[in-house]
Amino acid sequence: MENINIEATERSPEIHFDFGSNTFALKGESYPEDVSTFFGPVIGALEEHLSGLNGASVTFTFDLIYFNSSTAKVLMGLFDTLDEAAENGNDVSIIWSYEEDDDNMEELGEEFGEDLEHAKFEMKAYAKK
Amino acid sequence: MSFDLFKREEKTIAEGHALLETNALPKDMQAHYEKLLKAYEKQFKSTKRLVSLSDRNEAELNKLASEMDQKNQMLEGLSKKLSKYLSPQIYRSIFEGDREVSLETKRKKLTVFFSDIKDFTSTTENLQAEDLTYLLNKYFSEMSKIALEYGATIDKFIGDAIVIFFGDPETLGVKQDAQACVRMSIAMQRRMKGLQEIWRDKGYEKPFEMRIGINTGFCNVGNFGSDERMDYTIIGGEVNLAARLESKADPGGILMSYETYALVREIVAAEELEPTRVKGIQRDVRPYRVIGIYDDMEPGRFIHKDQDGLLLMMDREKLTTNQQRHKAIAELEAAIKILKS
Repeated sequence: MENINIEATERSPEIHFDFGSNTFALKGESYPEDVSTFFGPVIGALEEHLSGLNGASVTFTFDLIYFNSSTAKVLMGLFDTLDEAAENGNDVSIIWSYEEDDDNMEELGEEFGEDLEHAKFEMKAYAKK
Repeated sequence: MSFDLFKREEKTIAEGHALLETNALPKDMQAHYEKLLKAYEKQFKSTKRLVSLSDRNEAELNKLASEMDQKNQMLEGLSKKLSKYLSPQIYRSIFEGDREVSLETKRKKLTVFFSDIKDFTSTTENLQAEDLTYLLNKYFSEMSKIALEYGATIDKFIGDAIVIFFGDPETLGVKQDAQACVRMSIAMQRRMKGLQEIWRDKGYEKPFEMRIGINTGFCNVGNFGSDERMDYTIIGGEVNLAARLESKADPGGILMSYETYALVREIVAAEELEPTRVKGIQRDVRPYRVIGIYDDMEPGRFIHKDQDGLLLMMDREKLTTNQQRHKAIAELEAAIKILKS
């Protein structure tokens, strides 16, 4: 599958999906006009790719500073998809990266991570840039 | 590829309905299951509505924040423009909320500076309006720059005159304020010399010459005027004295009152002039002509000691003849003799 690299806009995050190395990243702010149009194709491609994997090592990094409620729903779905991939015999690591003084992102990461049953989850705070 | 934000929930509901249609559940459970599925569907609808409402609210908030940002930028621009009509200290104290914008004044010891341009009317009568504007603006800009460097409060420009004071709204203490005022005045006269050369080079026959008067005393400082239109300024007899001293100063010179001299004499060389009467002041005024700051003057010219019980000021430039020197030595020896006895 062809890699996906989308640059950030004012309202949408930066996306880097490397299907060859199974490393995926979502970074920045997310409150697109139409969540389905923006995330639909990339999430669809990811789901298709993950459904065909077995015994693979997968890393997904989230590095977000702001997102709206629809994006939150997308992220919850993404966490479920990754957890299913881990349940299906893959080694899945989810990294939730956030600025050290961003209490909101820290709390959201903790909440999203709570529901994971099979994937590994890591919270990573970094100093403010 | 279609993407549905709620496809997992929809899938669950579809599976629930499919199970109901099979009638595979025991009869007593069927009704309970149907009720549960209905409640789940209702809950799902509420969630969808809440997400959509939350998105709309967030979008509205973002729009408001962006509008606020634009408004703030506009206000910042406006206040920057307004600040040019006010002394920076006043602007700061108002915008930082330290100062009440009301008709309030207080009595405070200030050092007041008054300057004007010698023979301004006759110097400028042959000038074109554009030339006059250039000269005045250049003069005011350069003098204001120096005033702000020394922490002065620029009160106002009146025609060719400048009124400045030290001691409000910020003060370093009465003595330091007076010293800053004299240092500023010397820096201004020095800059005027530079400007005069530039103006002469540009073809202005009679470049501006500035006279400065300085006085220290109690003034009323604060907001004067009406509730609708007020001026932050100073009033009082001591302000008038600064203006009177200015009118008696030499072109390019600085004249200060004894009250200011007493505060600056440790650092300033000055020459006492004959006491004089000035209009509006009941007492005799003892003016002092500023010669310079000791630290800035040629090394060795002045011998200056100021301590309790002793004030010595020797200007070697004025002791050039044998007669002058012998007289000075005799005076010093007589003083030493008294001191030793």
